[in-house]
Amino acid sequence: MITRHQKTAVTALAGLSLLGVVTGCSTEAATTDSASTPVATPTSTTEATTDAAESTPAAAGSSVYADGEYSAEGEYTSPGGEEHVSVSLTLADDVITAVTVTPESTNPNGKKYQGEFADGIAAVVVGKSIDDISVSKVAGSSLTSGGFNDAVDQIKADAAV
Amino acid sequence: MPPSSLRFEGIGTAWQIDTPDELSEVVVGRVRGRVEAFDRAYSRFRPDSLVARLAEAPGTVDFPDDAAELFDLYDLLDEVSEGAVTPLVGRSLEHLGYDSGYSLTAGPGRVVPARWPDAVSRVGASVTTTAPTVIDVGAAGKGYLIDLVAEVLVESDVESFVIDASGDLVNRGEPLRVGLEHPFDPSKAIGVVTLGNESLCASGSNRRVWGEGLHHILDGRTGAPTSDIIATWAIAKNGLLADGLATALFFVPPARLAPHFDFDWVRMHSNGIAERSRALRGEVFS
Repeated sequence: MITRHQKTAVTALAGLSLLGVVTGCSTEAATTDSASTPVATPTSTTEATTDAAESTPAAAGSSVYADGEYSAEGEYTSPGGEEHVSVSLTLADDVITAVTVTPESTNPNGKKYQGEFADGIAAVVVGKSIDDISVSKVAGSSLTSGGFNDAVDQIKADAAV
Repeated sequence: MPPSSLRFEGIGTAWQIDTPDELSEVVVGRVRGRVEAFDRAYSRFRPDSLVARLAEAPGTVDFPDDAAELFDLYDLLDEVSEGAVTPLVGRSLEHLGYDSGYSLTAGPGRVVPARWPDAVSRVGASVTTTAPTVIDVGAAGKGYLIDLVAEVLVESDVESFVIDASGDLVNRGEPLRVGLEHPFDPSKAIGVVTLGNESLCASGSNRRVWGEGLHHILDGRTGAPTSDIIATWAIAKNGLLADGLATALFFVPPARLAPHFDFDWVRMHSNGIAERSRALRGEVFS
């Protein structure tokens, strides 16, 4: 369930739809070279009830989403079956700066799996600006090129008509 | 910054090779030739490749000698992952629209591949099939190619270099600090690692996307795109291993890979949690 100290909007943000959002945005990024990819869309989630709508309004400027803390119930289908987690995250300038995940699994394998997170093997990621970490290289998923990009552009063009 | 960088496009992605001195035209020619030869053998996207021949009709195809090492790794990954990592996701990818014509139109349902050892018999680099078979070496092929390109450089007396094939790196020389790109935001990193004379390969489901839930990392047991893990990084002695393991980390708990392979790793779940190996030379920001 949603932990007490988390204020703000309670939304139903399915794990699967989170991935959908991410991949959808990434398609955008891959084809438009957009530098900043929004990470979550509180506005697109359903059943958004506010029990204390204190989320900071978006700073004037380039932010697409309001800064603040968001909480959500997520579900996803793992090879072991349906899993449930409670996720709360903090958004600042369209970037997730903190995430708390509380496993609510009823699937025995899922419990074991999610339990490993609690043991401290894993940690919730906080992104740092690449400009601030002084690296020679950055490694992520492969850039796409040529035929793939053209084809995605074509699909978008068709969809826009 | 390195004094000299060679940039080009090969096997459908961007390449950059950094060296202290500019590479001679002869060496550049050898490098480009090596990449082109690989593409000619293994590309699913060109009709004249060896892979295309097996897709059209069953039979025996002699791959280049170096293919034996690549397919050996696939044998082992197929076994350890119980079929999750397999070159036979080729047909499943086509079915979902990631085909040579880039139709990007998914057919109904999923195509679950046959098991690799059942569908293919192999002696070294010679592959025999009994039915039309789509082989896709996307899981480890690019990592293997950076090894082959590194070999070309070493044979050309280039001792210090960084090969960056967009996510797959080979480093020779001074240690290299590498940021791990945030899969949700390419201007951010989720961590940083230091790379010695070794390879780092990154894999993620965020860029080759052509529809809701449609991306190029498929589970060979189901023929469906993965969803729990969204990004992985593996560090190993060479690109072949690092790339293959980066793919395997989408499907196999690291603890199950550890008895078979010597490597370090980071992987990130769709819920924003990242795991890392304990011996990792680096950190994950949390």
